[in-house]
Amino acid sequence: MRSKIATDNPNSYLLLNGDEAAARGAVEAGVKVAASYPGTPATEILEALAEASKTFGIHVEWSINEIVAMEVAAGASMAGVRSIVSMKHVGLNVAADAAMTLAYTGVAGGMVIAVCDDPALHSSQNEQDTRYFALHSNLPLLDAANPQEALDMTREAFKISETLQLPVIVRLTTRVAHSKARVKISSINQNLRKAEFDKDAARWVMVPSNAIKRHRVLKSKLQEAAKIANTSKFNVVEDNGKQIGIIGSGVGYYYARSILDTKKFSWLKLGFVHPFPTELVRQFASKVKEIIILEELRPFIESNIQFLHRPFLGKDLLGLDEVGEFNPDVVREAFAKLGLCEKAEKLEALALPPRPPVLCPGCPHRAFYYALNTVRQFVNCDPEKCSGCDICEYICSFEKEKTFNPIKSRIRAVRLDPLSNMAVTCRTCKDAPCVAACPEDALEQSVENGTITVDEDKCNGCGWCITACQYGALTIHPETKKAMVCDTCEGDPKCVQWCPERALSFGGETEDKIVTGDIGCYTLGFMPPVNTLQTCLCMGAGISQAAGMFHAGVKDKIFAVIGDSTFFHAGMPGLLNIAYNKANVCVIILDNHVVAMTGHQPTPGSGRNLLGEQTKEIRLEDIAKSLGIEKVEVVDPYDVKATTKILREILDYPGPSVIIARRPCPLSIEKGPAREVLEECDACGLCVEAFGCPAISIPSKRAEIDPTLCYGCGVCETICPAKAIRSTG
Amino acid sequence: MELAVVFSGVGGQGVVVLSDIFCEAALLDGFDVAKAEIHGMAQRGASIVAHARIGEKIESPLIERGKADIVLGFEVLETARALPMLKKDGAVVVNTKYIPPNITLNAQPLTQEQLLNMIKTKAGAVHEVDGFGIATKLGNVLVVNTVLLGALSALPENPVKPESYKQAIAARLKEKYIDLNLKAFQLGQESVTLG
Repeated sequence: MRSKIATDNPNSYLLLNGDEAAARGAVEAGVKVAASYPGTPATEILEALAEASKTFGIHVEWSINEIVAMEVAAGASMAGVRSIVSMKHVGLNVAADAAMTLAYTGVAGGMVIAVCDDPALHSSQNEQDTRYFALHSNLPLLDAANPQEALDMTREAFKISETLQLPVIVRLTTRVAHSKARVKISSINQNLRKAEFDKDAARWVMVPSNAIKRHRVLKSKLQEAAKIANTSKFNVVEDNGKQIGIIGSGVGYYYARSILDTKKFSWLKLGFVHPFPTELVRQFASKVKEIIILEELRPFIESNIQFLHRPFLGKDLLGLDEVGEFNPDVVREAFAKLGLCEKAEKLEALALPPRPPVLCPGCPHRAFYYALNTVRQFVNCDPEKCSGCDICEYICSFEKEKTFNPIKSRIRAVRLDPLSNMAVTCRTCKDAPCVAACPEDALEQSVENGTITVDEDKCNGCGWCITACQYGALTIHPETKKAMVCDTCEGDPKCVQWCPERALSFGGETEDKIVTGDIGCYTLGFMPPVNTLQTCLCMGAGISQAAGMFHAGVKDKIFAVIGDSTFFHAGMPGLLNIAYNKANVCVIILDNHVVAMTGHQPTPGSGRNLLGEQTKEIRLEDIAKSLGIEKVEVVDPYDVKATTKILREILDYPGPSVIIARRPCPLSIEKGPAREVLEECDACGLCVEAFGCPAISIPSKRAEIDPTLCYGCGVCETICPAKAIRSTG
Repeated sequence: MELAVVFSGVGGQGVVVLSDIFCEAALLDGFDVAKAEIHGMAQRGASIVAHARIGEKIESPLIERGKADIVLGFEVLETARALPMLKKDGAVVVNTKYIPPNITLNAQPLTQEQLLNMIKTKAGAVHEVDGFGIATKLGNVLVVNTVLLGALSALPENPVKPESYKQAIAARLKEKYIDLNLKAFQLGQESVTLG
């Protein structure tokens, strides 16, 4: 690996993003242990350190989750060496338990907690503001607003940490972490602190009698930290002797500077924001008539500045939002309203179709979702909408028998009660009673989609199936005297297409099952046209949310979908809990061997570590069994037929179960030969609308597959009703 | 002097890498540089935009709407999407390939021609580059983005020296791909200078 940040050329410039710059800062400070769990936008901090690890003898690891990473870094620091733990903002919630009390014990070697917030949720589930975690935990926080600051602050944070014997948080935001800029580097400190643990029980054993003393120690450290904050080089005053003073932190400060004429204002850039540099702010404020405060997310500076007892222009008066991120356009608008800069020209927005994030072509998650969506699909009728017009019957008889004769229809409109109508047809029951009732074995149920087929050679028209069906879905053909039942028109029911009241729908997926989701690429399965997942809360939540729904008494079968890395991170306790507390939940582990969403980092299941070295390969099925799950199945999601068969089996399984859907992420392996569409294609749309592969489109009368986008998974080929897709290889 | 460029394409096309190389080249020429990009929720297939600003001193990486000197589009729909960023009479380099978005059957997709017309109406100068065609001729469709970089380097408003790009390309790529990419770069340059 070529390491960009390992350059030993002090005072030269590198093009670094905020993450790489923070990593360089840690290298310059002589860091020895670095731990993290991948999470956008913080991932590259550890990746950059990994590339430099051999050169500088740094232990780097993807820990199982953020609290483990926090504890590893804490342990290293307790042993006297410098350590860094990095994570995205929500990772700090996971690590919070350790961090809160680590503030009491403090540290020995300098320890930096690098946290990336994600204003505007580019790739996150919330917009929490880590400055408030600093307040909550009593830890000092440096707020970096560009890559250069990320480097300088991280390097300095190690020193501050050793002075105060406290971990120091360095906060980045997405626009810092994933912005690249020219960054000046400094020399590398070959800080060779010896690893030695000072066994001081009063300090390291946090039982109440010790902890209360350490709480007092922490409070006195904070007073010391405030002194450092007041004179910190990261709080920069540019006093231009003007009436208006702008106080800001984060990227918004620099947006303002590039929009306004800087000479017309006095400026205070806050970088050391917790503890708050009260004295410095008081001095700055005394020299200006008006104060403007500019900060993204929550009003942290605003709430800290109340001690001035002076009016100021904050978010409310500037018309800036706590929700979302700043950009130069909103900052200009805010200042233009005050008459401090020119308004932007009005630009008309172009009406263009969006291109939202989607599961990639070839993604095994899509194939699995397709199997889960179609495990039991049938034509469903909403009695509230059904007008009893019988059009479905005419359409069905025409489609199947080329005649408009309702007696020959596979769907029947019935009067439910004097006030409502309903159309009834086959509901593809689990273990269909009609099949069991047939004395001639003439009925067969498809393992793939549950539809019933009638073997007309065997059927003698006895009608037992009609008696067995509680929905009244079977009838006898008036002429052939054979049983008739809906075949869903091969997954494209014509009655649904033609229903004038839109009372008919083809689905069933939300009707008889609940699918909770989790955090990863596969979360995108909530989006149309896949529409499989119904929840996403936080890492590992899906399994336990499913358990809660089960204990609440919902009747539907509950599936909990989780990725392999998320399972290792936070799913194991939930799985043990459903085994222990007997929740009838099927946990589906989508195992693609990598943390795909953050850029293909290895997992404990991949058998290699961050540096690509061989390590113990942890098998998911072993974990599931050892956590008390008796029913554990492994499927290949590309094999939709086999996957559906297992899913149908699980629908009836009464206890906790696990399905491991195993296929490597296609982006981590070689592409297969692309698929192409044959003349047989009748543009039914299944591959686009139900399967949802972005490599396929239907520009006119036939589907087309873009060969540069196709990964060659071949799943479309297996599900195409017209058998109109084949491999080019 | 300052130059603001918006790079716009589809995830997987190399938007991030290309904007990186542009900035590395500018850095070699002694410019201050800042760029921003978003790594979203999907690895492939979503809209991707990168902003890059070069000049004597650059404090903020994001470009204001209507202030970009150049939009470099990797695909026609994403080029059109970036047009509100472009200043009046700004230049557009557009790879003429169209990747239709995955939309439901009800929506009326725009055609490639409609999108190109939209771009021509809004922009000052439009340089159409058949990046896909050129890359195919070179035997590797993956060098489309280097072709586009060549085209970008040939625009009169771009002060970065072509030599610096070549150096930045060589520093970024594995040795066996360097010649191919330098060739692609040259063909990209020619596609603009020769019209």
